[in-house]
Amino acid sequence: MKLVKAIVRPNKADAIKDALAKCSVAGMTVTEVRGHGRQRGHSAVYRGCEYAVRLLPKIKITAVVPDETAEDVIAAITSSARTGEIGDGWIFVIPVEESRSIRTGERNVV
Amino acid sequence: MTPERAAADTAPAAERPLTDDLCAALDAYRAEIRMARGGAQAAAAYASRIDRLLARIHTDAAGQTETPVALVALGGYGRRQLCLHSDVDLLILFGGPIAAAEERFAKTLLHPLWDLGLDVGHQVRQVSELEQAETDNPEFLVAVVDSRFLTGDTGVFERFDTAVRSPTSVWRQATITALLRLVADRHARFNAAIYQLEPDIKEAPGALRDVVATRALARLIRPGLASGLPVATGRFDEALDEAEEFLLRIRSLLHLENGRNLNVLSHDHQESVAERFGSPGAEPRRQVEALMSAYFHHARITSRVLAATIAEANPPASSPPMKPIGDNLQRSADGISFIDTVRASLQPYTWLSPFQAALDEDCQVTPETLAFVERHADRYTSEQFFPGTSECYQFLHFFKPRPGLYHRLSEMHESGLLGRMFPEFRAIYCRVIRDFYHKYTVDEHTLLTIRHLSELGDPDTTARRRFASILAELAKPELIVLALLFHDVGKWTNRNHAEESVRMVGGALRRVRIIPESIRTIEFLIRHHLQMSVAAFRRDGEDPEVARQFARLVGTEDRLKMLCLLTLVDIQAVSPETLTPWKEELLWRLYVDTYNYLTLGYGDDVIATGQSSVAGLQAHRPPEISEHEVTEFLKGLPRRYLQLVDPRTVYDHIRLSRNLEPDEVRLTLDKQNDVWELSVATKDQPRIFSNICGVLSYFGMDILRGQAMSNSHKVVLDLFRFVDADQFLALNESGQSELTRLLQDVLRGDTDLAEMLKGREAALQAQCDKIRVQSMVHFDHHYSDRYTVLEIGGANQWGLLHRISRVISEHGCDIDLVLISTEGDLAIDVFHLTRDGAKLSPNIEQSLRSDLERALGVTGEAR
Repeated sequence: MKLVKAIVRPNKADAIKDALAKCSVAGMTVTEVRGHGRQRGHSAVYRGCEYAVRLLPKIKITAVVPDETAEDVIAAITSSARTGEIGDGWIFVIPVEESRSIRTGERNVV
Repeated sequence: MTPERAAADTAPAAERPLTDDLCAALDAYRAEIRMARGGAQAAAAYASRIDRLLARIHTDAAGQTETPVALVALGGYGRRQLCLHSDVDLLILFGGPIAAAEERFAKTLLHPLWDLGLDVGHQVRQVSELEQAETDNPEFLVAVVDSRFLTGDTGVFERFDTAVRSPTSVWRQATITALLRLVADRHARFNAAIYQLEPDIKEAPGALRDVVATRALARLIRPGLASGLPVATGRFDEALDEAEEFLLRIRSLLHLENGRNLNVLSHDHQESVAERFGSPGAEPRRQVEALMSAYFHHARITSRVLAATIAEANPPASSPPMKPIGDNLQRSADGISFIDTVRASLQPYTWLSPFQAALDEDCQVTPETLAFVERHADRYTSEQFFPGTSECYQFLHFFKPRPGLYHRLSEMHESGLLGRMFPEFRAIYCRVIRDFYHKYTVDEHTLLTIRHLSELGDPDTTARRRFASILAELAKPELIVLALLFHDVGKWTNRNHAEESVRMVGGALRRVRIIPESIRTIEFLIRHHLQMSVAAFRRDGEDPEVARQFARLVGTEDRLKMLCLLTLVDIQAVSPETLTPWKEELLWRLYVDTYNYLTLGYGDDVIATGQSSVAGLQAHRPPEISEHEVTEFLKGLPRRYLQLVDPRTVYDHIRLSRNLEPDEVRLTLDKQNDVWELSVATKDQPRIFSNICGVLSYFGMDILRGQAMSNSHKVVLDLFRFVDADQFLALNESGQSELTRLLQDVLRGDTDLAEMLKGREAALQAQCDKIRVQSMVHFDHHYSDRYTVLEIGGANQWGLLHRISRVISEHGCDIDLVLISTEGDLAIDVFHLTRDGAKLSPNIEQSLRSDLERALGVTGEAR
């Protein structure tokens, strides 16, 4: 199993959710987050005063998927989140040792 | 019932297994619940059977100790309102010291109860410990109010009862304080809102705990009475009983369906409860609406009685004497009331005044006055509340956002006055919209938006302060409140609710005689009240096109500010969790980007002949204005112009600029309320804007807004809104003609304005040294391809604009477009500049910046 964690633009959440549903990803967690990448945010001007916007709003989507579908899931996220501009985000893939349902105790069912 | 169970039931009580007794009690209770009869009587019957069970166990345990002991039921069990999965709250009370034998007694008593699967909440005390109130244990203090002797030593119980419940007990005041704090904390958890779409039948405001708190407070503040409510709420005694019965029956069904102590009446449970209750309606949705309508009715009564009881428990330190505070109004310790109710009953147009007075005096409207309004409201039509223009003024003043407005509007809503004044609002009374997001009924959501807007006057976070600053800048914040009041009235139907709300609001506002310009603004806000959320959360905020399109939608900064605030509080009122800092940030970024586009980037966006507003202008033009004239006048003007002025004013401007000669100056001067509007049309010539500003300053006018723009035929339109700060126009009959004459003289070059202003400018220099508002000069290179955009902020002081524009002109720069706005002490001016038809060179920009900073007194730090 793999934990796929994607940090993407806020407006891409719905498109990614739809794309993951097509990949038969059963469950996911969507979180509102703020952060910055290499550009360390940017500056903005309001009424002539410049101020730094260090942390930009992003969406974090996490899903645990079987090893064999991980690449498809990554491809689906990439194609639905990509604009080609700076700030498209990142996908992280992390191996998962075990998963267990709290209600039923089932193991490794994703 | 199984044969074994039936046999057990016929055995002598003392010989039957405890489990059988409990099962029989539960079976009987469940049977009642299934028939929707799990109210007070069924709960009391179940409590009695648990009493008997405990008596048996107590008998078995009695031999463990020689110390006298009493078993006492606490809380809901004490009240005999034991629900199916409620905790059985017990107090084991010893008449002497607690040692090993007493501990054995407690274990022998509790273990069988645990083995039976009962959830027991137990307390163990020595009666002498109770001489001091347990102020660090508020839940225990409150539970003791409903304590009831179960079994054991009556002498011990009597000592306990005297210690904690006698009128002179130290527990009394401690319990009142604890109860009030628990109620306040609990209400805060629910945003103090009754109208929850999925209410917690036990905890929510207006639910069971409030019934219990009301009765407990009543007994504590009027210790002479064993039961009954305070006099002020006495007429609701029966209604409170009904509410309690209704809530208990629902709660018991929830326990039955959930199989545990869960009390949230979720959407799923609403359908099954409505069916068991036999709620009227041909389909489940209608049955649920009927059920929830009944719930809100009971919750409202409970809430009102509790509020009155709390007011009695919390009397003001000193009661102010009754005093008249206006026409037929008086203020007492209870709040605002009519002096002569007979007169008031014949004058419905005065009924807003007690609510206005309550806002002004920061108090409530008395319960008697609310009851009066409730009794008489149905006698009058909506028109009879607003017969003239003075009521319109009073109405608009009432809707200015400020603390207390939510409570007063809620009182008006509860008493039926709001719905009578505006049948449009009554259409969403207790309206339930079932979705995953909303927590409140539509009417409560609406009133909560107004509460959150009012709270912006005293923002609780730094992030919220930036939105508060926008609110403070608005000249007519009441328009947002009115837009909020009606933004969801269209939800009475399942059609496009925004459009339906717009359809409904027009009639309501015209009845109140709101001016057409304000009605248009309110309609705009309602029509587009979802658009900013969509743009902020579902579009790419880093794409400049998003802000550009949104700027085109809103058109002006004022509308942007109002829509931004409306969106903020509309999200906040969905549920306490919906407006996250993350969403606030996205909303603010869209606001800033759009604001910048509107003020810095609008110059490149000129009117296109095909756009719909131009087609509308052509279609409705007066006969003496030709199609060609409209087209040629609009050519080259920024789109902003059409969003700034109404069609009638466009036609006026066309007439004003018709056949304009090179040196000719034409102007109009009108007054709307306290604000003057000046429109000047000339052919392009140097220093026009600077000179107009100078003349207005010379006469002491305070410029609020200013716009300058020109079309492709070099016709320049300068539009100003100003107030007559020195009363020159108000006190001089010939003032208007003097101002007009001087303007024309100066613009034609017949009068030397600089010479006239010399004396005043010298005085100003001394004033400048004392001003502490930091000035700034900023050049933007991002928003316009055609212009150099100069943004200036500084203290709003006499002659500022004239000085700035003179410096700009002295550098040979053309002021092509100008936006001026004044926000309290701060003036923010944006100039779109060119020099010889092109953007400014870096050298010119640097030299202009230096001179402007010198003129404004910008310090090194601000630079």
